Amino acid sequence: MRKELLEKFLPLTFDEREELKKKKLKKHDIATIYLHWFNALVWFIELTTGSALIISKYYRFTPVFWQKIWMGIFGTRANMLKFHIMTGVTWIIVLLLYAIFGYKNYLWGYIKNMLILAKDDIIWVIRRGQLILGEKVELPPQGIYNGGQKLYAWDVAVGTILIAVSGIVMTTHIGGVTAVRWAIAIHFLAVGMVVMGLFVHIYMAAFMPEERESFFSMFTGYVNELYAYEHHYKWWREMVKEREEWIKRYKEDIEKELKKYTEEARA
Amino acid sequence: MTRYAMVINVQRCVGCHACEVACRAEWGVPDNEHRTWVRPTYPTALKRGGGLFELVAAFYVGQCNHCEHPTCVEACPTGATYKREDGIVVVDHDLCIGCGYCVEACPYGARYVHPTLKKVDKCDFCAPRLEKGLEPACVETCITGAKVFGDLDDPTSDVYKLVFGEGARGITSDEVNIGPNVYYVGDDKKVDLIINKFPPRKPKLPTPASLWEKVLKPLIGLGVIGSFLGASVAYFVQLFKGEEKFE
Repeated sequence: MRKELLEKFLPLTFDEREELKKKKLKKHDIATIYLHWFNALVWFIELTTGSALIISKYYRFTPVFWQKIWMGIFGTRANMLKFHIMTGVTWIIVLLLYAIFGYKNYLWGYIKNMLILAKDDIIWVIRRGQLILGEKVELPPQGIYNGGQKLYAWDVAVGTILIAVSGIVMTTHIGGVTAVRWAIAIHFLAVGMVVMGLFVHIYMAAFMPEERESFFSMFTGYVNELYAYEHHYKWWREMVKEREEWIKRYKEDIEKELKKYTEEARA
Repeated sequence: MTRYAMVINVQRCVGCHACEVACRAEWGVPDNEHRTWVRPTYPTALKRGGGLFELVAAFYVGQCNHCEHPTCVEACPTGATYKREDGIVVVDHDLCIGCGYCVEACPYGARYVHPTLKKVDKCDFCAPRLEKGLEPACVETCITGAKVFGDLDDPTSDVYKLVFGEGARGITSDEVNIGPNVYYVGDDKKVDLIINKFPPRKPKLPTPASLWEKVLKPLIGLGVIGSFLGASVAYFVQLFKGEEKFE
């Protein structure tokens, strides 16, 4: 492997590509994978029941047959509302548990990796747009998450807080009638903002051929190094450096242990 | 078909508030809130011919009008408020989230948010009593028989005779007429006085609700549809282009 690769993003030779393809890097922890799919399931349940709950002609945005299907499944709309609330409460509790017990590894990780936008991230977003429009520009190297993902992370973080708080206000009436009135509009707005990004997220992650690795990493936790090198160069560089240090230390330790063991055995 | 209605004879009402008390006792209506109410118009001078005046006073007995085209039902986001087949407008407490959009929408101020239940409450013509074959509590208790309850679709009923025979009128104005099913009969001057003193107010939509309806819904709708279409177009392009065999 060329040393310069660690200094600067360079095009790879064929052999280097093949070599990188075989190696794996850990991208997601098991806890992250579970939370992601739990969140996806909750969103699916809440979006379907929630959209079927709004029935007034002023506010309704789904067709009547859709509402009838979901009413049929739950029997009464009151049951559906109860289910919607219970699922939401479970969701909030799980997220809080993650935030409290995983504040060091997962909450801070989310903030550090996904919410702090560097200059490169913003340039990435602009150039990505230019690429879609057909201009020929180069994308700046990215960390573990790219600018687009970070923007969506902001959308989701703000959306989650707004959805949870407005949901609690509607259920418990904290703040009185005025708060409830605003909570309905805010609940709707926040969900809308999140869903707008959701389609892009699903397309980018699950359907785009270039992001194949990224999609499967949400199941396995691993991506190959070629993907990491090409899409998340800054992160790849950090990980390789860290790994080399780790291997060095680990090797020394193991060799020491081995020496000790063999000497003991001889004696 | 049944179409429940109530007729109030303003000539007979003496303003004793017995109906209000019976309603409170029956349904545990909290202080300062009303399912039904009695308000005096106070003596009012009406012009008569020849520069003379006539003092008229009446009591306005109000409650939910169980309108034909209820504005409250349209305003309720969750469908907790609906009109039953027998014409009674009810609130399903299991679905009500107590946002009070309907409270603003009601032209008669007949709804309130229950302070402890946090749900909207109002007159439901004592629907649970009707099921047992009883009359509404206020009708049963009225000492002068000023309140008459019955089925407007039944030509033999008292309400039918009073509404179609004696010209009982609902409280409506040129601006607001949503077909109230509580009618007032008796002295025409008194009925006019009540309608003038307590006219229906225009149905209101609270700011967050109109913001949601007029701004957020179209904007978010466009955004969500746009984002979905964008992703779909990208996928169709991908279908057209195909994928690399080796990478």
